[in-house]
Amino acid sequence: MAKRSSSREATKAPASQKKEDDENYEVTELGMSSDEEHEFDDQEVEVMVPPNDDEEDEDEAEEEQEDEEAESDGHGGEDESDGEISDDVEFDEEEGDADEEGEEDDDGDGEGDDAVDDEEFMERMLQQSIDEDKGAAGNEEEEDEEGSDKGPAMEDAYDSQGSDSSDDERPQRNTVGNVPLKWYKDEEHIGYDKDGKRIAKSEKRDALDAFLARTDNKKEWRTVRDEYNDEDVVLTKEEMEMVRRIRRGQFPDVNINPFEEYVDWMKWEDGGKHPLSSAPEPKRRFIPSKSEAKKVVKLVRALRRGWIKMDKPKEEPKTYLLWADDNQIMEKNANGLTYIPAPKPQLPGHDQSYNPSGEYLPTEEEQAAITMLDESERPKFVPQDFDSMRQIPSYDKYVKERFERCLDLYLCPRTRKKRINIDPESLLPKLPKPKDLQPFPTTLCVQYEGHTGPVWSVSVDPSGQWLATGSSDCTVRVWEVRTGRCQRVWRVGYAAKCVQWSPDPSVRLLAVAADTRVLLLNAEVGGPDVREATAKALTLIKRESDKSSDALAVWSSWEGEGAGALSKGGLQLQQKHVVRQLAWHHRGDYFTSVAPMGGPFAVLVHQLSKQATQNPFRKNKGRVLRAIFHPSKPFFFVATQQHVRVYNLAKQTLAKKLTASVSKISSMAIHPQGDNLIVGSNDNKLTWFDMDLSTRPYKTISSHAHSIEGVAFHRSYPLFASCADDATVHVFHGMVYSDLLQNPLIVPVKILRGHAVEDHLGVLDCTFHPTLPWLFTAGADQTVRLFCN
Amino acid sequence: MGKIIKKGTTGNAANYTTRNQALKRLQLKLEEFRRLCILKGVHPREPKKKRQGQGKTYYHVKDINFLAHEPLLEQFRTIRSHKKKIVRAKGKKEYDLAERLKNITPGYRLDHLVKERYPSFIDALRDLDDPLSLIHLFAVLPAEKRLKVNNTMVQKARRLSLEFQAYVSRTHALRKVFVSVKGIYYQAEILGQLVTWIVPHALAQHIPIDVDYRVMTTFLDFYEVLLEFVNFKLYHQLGLKYPPNLNSHMEDAATGLMAVMHEMATSTGATGLLEASAPTPNPESKVAKESEKRLSTLKDKMADLTEGDAEEEEHPRDAEAIDDAEEDMKVVIRDEHGQESQETHEEDECGNLFKGLVFYLGRETNRESLGFVIQCFGGKAGWEGEGSPIEGSDPSITHSVSDRPNKGHRFLSRDYVTPQWVYDSINFRVLTPTEGYQPGMKPPPHLSPFVDNEAEGYMPEYADTMRRLQEASKSVNLDAAAEVQDDESRGTKRTLDNDEDAAEKEYAAELAAEIAGVSYAQSLQKHEDEEEEDEEEDDEKSDEEAAPGKSAPLSGAEADAVDAGILKGSYLLPRKTRELYKAMQMGSAKKKARIEELQSKKKQVASKKQKK
Repeated sequence: MAKRSSSREATKAPASQKKEDDENYEVTELGMSSDEEHEFDDQEVEVMVPPNDDEEDEDEAEEEQEDEEAESDGHGGEDESDGEISDDVEFDEEEGDADEEGEEDDDGDGEGDDAVDDEEFMERMLQQSIDEDKGAAGNEEEEDEEGSDKGPAMEDAYDSQGSDSSDDERPQRNTVGNVPLKWYKDEEHIGYDKDGKRIAKSEKRDALDAFLARTDNKKEWRTVRDEYNDEDVVLTKEEMEMVRRIRRGQFPDVNINPFEEYVDWMKWEDGGKHPLSSAPEPKRRFIPSKSEAKKVVKLVRALRRGWIKMDKPKEEPKTYLLWADDNQIMEKNANGLTYIPAPKPQLPGHDQSYNPSGEYLPTEEEQAAITMLDESERPKFVPQDFDSMRQIPSYDKYVKERFERCLDLYLCPRTRKKRINIDPESLLPKLPKPKDLQPFPTTLCVQYEGHTGPVWSVSVDPSGQWLATGSSDCTVRVWEVRTGRCQRVWRVGYAAKCVQWSPDPSVRLLAVAADTRVLLLNAEVGGPDVREATAKALTLIKRESDKSSDALAVWSSWEGEGAGALSKGGLQLQQKHVVRQLAWHHRGDYFTSVAPMGGPFAVLVHQLSKQATQNPFRKNKGRVLRAIFHPSKPFFFVATQQHVRVYNLAKQTLAKKLTASVSKISSMAIHPQGDNLIVGSNDNKLTWFDMDLSTRPYKTISSHAHSIEGVAFHRSYPLFASCADDATVHVFHGMVYSDLLQNPLIVPVKILRGHAVEDHLGVLDCTFHPTLPWLFTAGADQTVRLFCN
Repeated sequence: MGKIIKKGTTGNAANYTTRNQALKRLQLKLEEFRRLCILKGVHPREPKKKRQGQGKTYYHVKDINFLAHEPLLEQFRTIRSHKKKIVRAKGKKEYDLAERLKNITPGYRLDHLVKERYPSFIDALRDLDDPLSLIHLFAVLPAEKRLKVNNTMVQKARRLSLEFQAYVSRTHALRKVFVSVKGIYYQAEILGQLVTWIVPHALAQHIPIDVDYRVMTTFLDFYEVLLEFVNFKLYHQLGLKYPPNLNSHMEDAATGLMAVMHEMATSTGATGLLEASAPTPNPESKVAKESEKRLSTLKDKMADLTEGDAEEEEHPRDAEAIDDAEEDMKVVIRDEHGQESQETHEEDECGNLFKGLVFYLGRETNRESLGFVIQCFGGKAGWEGEGSPIEGSDPSITHSVSDRPNKGHRFLSRDYVTPQWVYDSINFRVLTPTEGYQPGMKPPPHLSPFVDNEAEGYMPEYADTMRRLQEASKSVNLDAAAEVQDDESRGTKRTLDNDEDAAEKEYAAELAAEIAGVSYAQSLQKHEDEEEEDEEEDDEKSDEEAAPGKSAPLSGAEADAVDAGILKGSYLLPRKTRELYKAMQMGSAKKKARIEELQSKKKQVASKKQKK
């Protein structure tokens, strides 16, 4: 407390200083007095009145002892030294520490006196303290105890006026300093006194002692144990009061008035008779400034003459001829970039009219549909109709639309985009007109009717007079081309999937693939010598080896169950797998059969003259779907699902492998000159291979809407055709030039329609007439048709 | 090894920055940046490769540097700091200071931006569509603090729009008008440039809350300056003073355009041509005096105006002045463009369409629009209400325009028409027969003049009728031309009469045909179809012969279409071209489908009508 107050004193104004001081020595003295009291108590223990006496009695008892001191209180400042001395004398023996403290106090007092030099101040202070004293004396009569306790305290108060170095705490017996006492827990002593002697721990009081003390000593309730100094401290009345006040949140000292009137210390009581400076007030403080007057005159003049206008009207920005020299047209903006003007909004059409013509208005159903839609999905503008202009309401999206336009103008990135404004027709290739590429088949001429199932295959004999067809109704028929008359019918027992005339002009021999059998039939058309030669070719050569079970195919004679006596028998090759396709060598002696499920035996080559069968490949790569002979050279084309392999039969090597880039090859035809190949596929593509050019397709044409079933080249005309399941046949002009540098010319010339789609199948096969630009097509609708030019 | 170059630091990629980078570079807030961009006309650009990400806005580095060097930037900063001062003063309760500071808030000019963005006048004219539309909108918006729209803005917008309209009507530059549900579209041809703008209907505007009006006012800021300079240039070319004084009296009477027009006419009459080109020493005071003078003589002039037709004879000076001005403008046009004959021809046509006609506008008509349009096409307009130059009972009135059936006295000398008649006559450049446009009746459909029906492939029936009328009137005009030379005084009137006669005859013929049960359009279509068929037959004869039409399960036309596509060899094209071709085909197919839809709907409507 002392330290705090002293530090405050240095900065505080004198008014507060006094208050502080009071507090200061009050506490100090209190400490002292309590000590003394304590001592008295010790002395008086024996003569004490019993504890059940009330306080007043006790006080009275004490009064007797302390009368002298009380009297000395009354002396005021005059006897202060005496009092002190007496104090000292009194307690000298018992409490050396207290002694010294008191001396110190004296010193401090002296200093305090020196420090306060202002007489007036002192005077006031003294007056005040005397007043207080009087008050205290008055109180004494009422509360004796207070007075008795106060005695020495008040005495000291006067001593330590203005003191700032007072030690207001109780004198410390123990000199160990501010250390935790637990350090001495296990020791016999609790520290050292100022002479360096150990202070022994006093005996610990047990509960009984405590009880006894409570009953015996009536001051026990206000006795506090000072562990540090190992002594009991009895709190005085003042201290108790102070504690009470602190608890209540008041100033500890009663005498402090928190609401004291303000004293203006700086005010001279003599009314300024003695100012700090005695210099007279200068004149310039009383007369107006000349320079300022000049300025004012200037301003006034300016105002009067209108040079200065107080309320300047805002200057309106003036317009002028901004584009005076308008001839310069700059390419670039000022920022060096090309100027991209914002695209203009679309101009309104007829539908935005307030009175549009009827066809622009939504019908009732449309209107209903629009109202059913979600707000966000509705069209931005729905045409409306009003009878007259006065009925047009305010367009509620007007501001919004202008705003959006504004946003577009500054937020949308602008780029220059090339808009192709060309006629789409100009993109198309320059093709010669189909008219100039005639002849090609254009018109349906003959329809061959008689089959009762889808016709799978169609073939024309080398002379072009006879047409052979094979169908799912298990018959093979031969027709006269020009009349459409059915010449022959064979019942082959199974669906005839492939029919091929022998290209040998000396015979009229028909090869038919029906299930696992290949039949070689004598068509019995043409002159007698032809018939004879055919019959001769079809006589079975009997051999032992044929009987063996591991033969690739068993050659035997076949007696057809043909209609009527007309049909004659032929040869039969029994194979192990279902034969799908047949193809003759151009000389008519060899032919090949393809059985896609045959695995290593898928492709077999048969020789008619020797009636022998051989398997050219040890194994096949992938499922073989088609195989054909080169029209002139010893080459053999084998089509698997995605590739076409070209084998050199003379060298027995793989010459080329063509990649069609299609999902599944369905048909294949070779150009009569042998350098070009067309391949039809199940994914609607027709690919043209120029084998001199590349192993990749030269052209891929996806003109069909469904999978291609058959393709065919014309033997002499530059024509080829493809037929597909969309029941159309596309006829192309496919010119191959002898000049190797010139690429083949492919021009679509005609789309032939007529067949109907049945069970997802359309036109199943097509073939050209050997000499004329005629096309035969076999359809799933059980008809065979001839298209002529 | 050379230094590794970080991606996006060189070449094209380095030319673009994102918006945030730009903001950082310019040390601006987003809204300040936005304002600057709007004023400077800087817009985002599309880089070839978006280095910083797809969803970002990219600006060209040059654009950003351009903004960084804008003097306006510094001015904006000054204004901002000044505004802070005002706020501070208010915070200190120094209201006088705040008021004074407010009054001296620095402003900014935008004329350098106008010149910078539009180095030549033609550029400015080309970009005039949006400014005009926005200014016409703001001219009718309420000045609300909530919208950050103040009264001066609205007043200025109104003034500028009126000035522009005055120019257009003075030079007869208006070409097309279209009354749509959204508003009224106008298209004018100014110095060879087509300028289109939209004006909202004269009703209270719906003011949405989800619109940032600050953006619009920033645009307006620039547009007002732009239009002001454009107006100045246009007036200058005519030799008129700019700004024209608004006749306050007439303006109070809500005559709008008339106020400006009246003033323009008198100013040229009084002070002569090319006044604006020679800058007057103290224009403001002079203008004030002039306006005072005019106000004093207003009554006389009003009286003059009411005399209507006779004005030309009685005020030769005014008429001369106008003619001079017109001639002057023709000269200007001739200088700017070579094709003067065509220009002037169209202009004459427009200027003389309503020549000699006097319109009386009824109460519920859009007076501003009609008045503007009629003046543009050489007519005169009076209206029911205050400030009208023509009384309702004036015998010179030839057309009475009203939107409701007339209940009062019917003048035999007048034609009673709906407002649409005026617009349709303008769009078709011919005085359409008034029979269909009687007030109270539903007028024939109002068609958009912006649609090229032939290119679109669908001709609405009424458009066809009007086309015939136009052709008829043209031939009549040619015939009448000779007569006009002989007798100029009656010339225009006669041609008009002839026009009407011819039109009426045609119309009567058409009616007769319709009574007979065949609408003209149908018969015409039939005829055309026949012709087309003939042609087609010639063309496709060989094909038809060849086609196996009879046996084909597909319908002939469909199959032919498919065949044609395939035979053209589109699938022989490389893939890219083929896709393009397909897309084009799809586009044309869409167009065709739309036409078919319209045709079928038309049939439906016709059948419904017949049932009724």
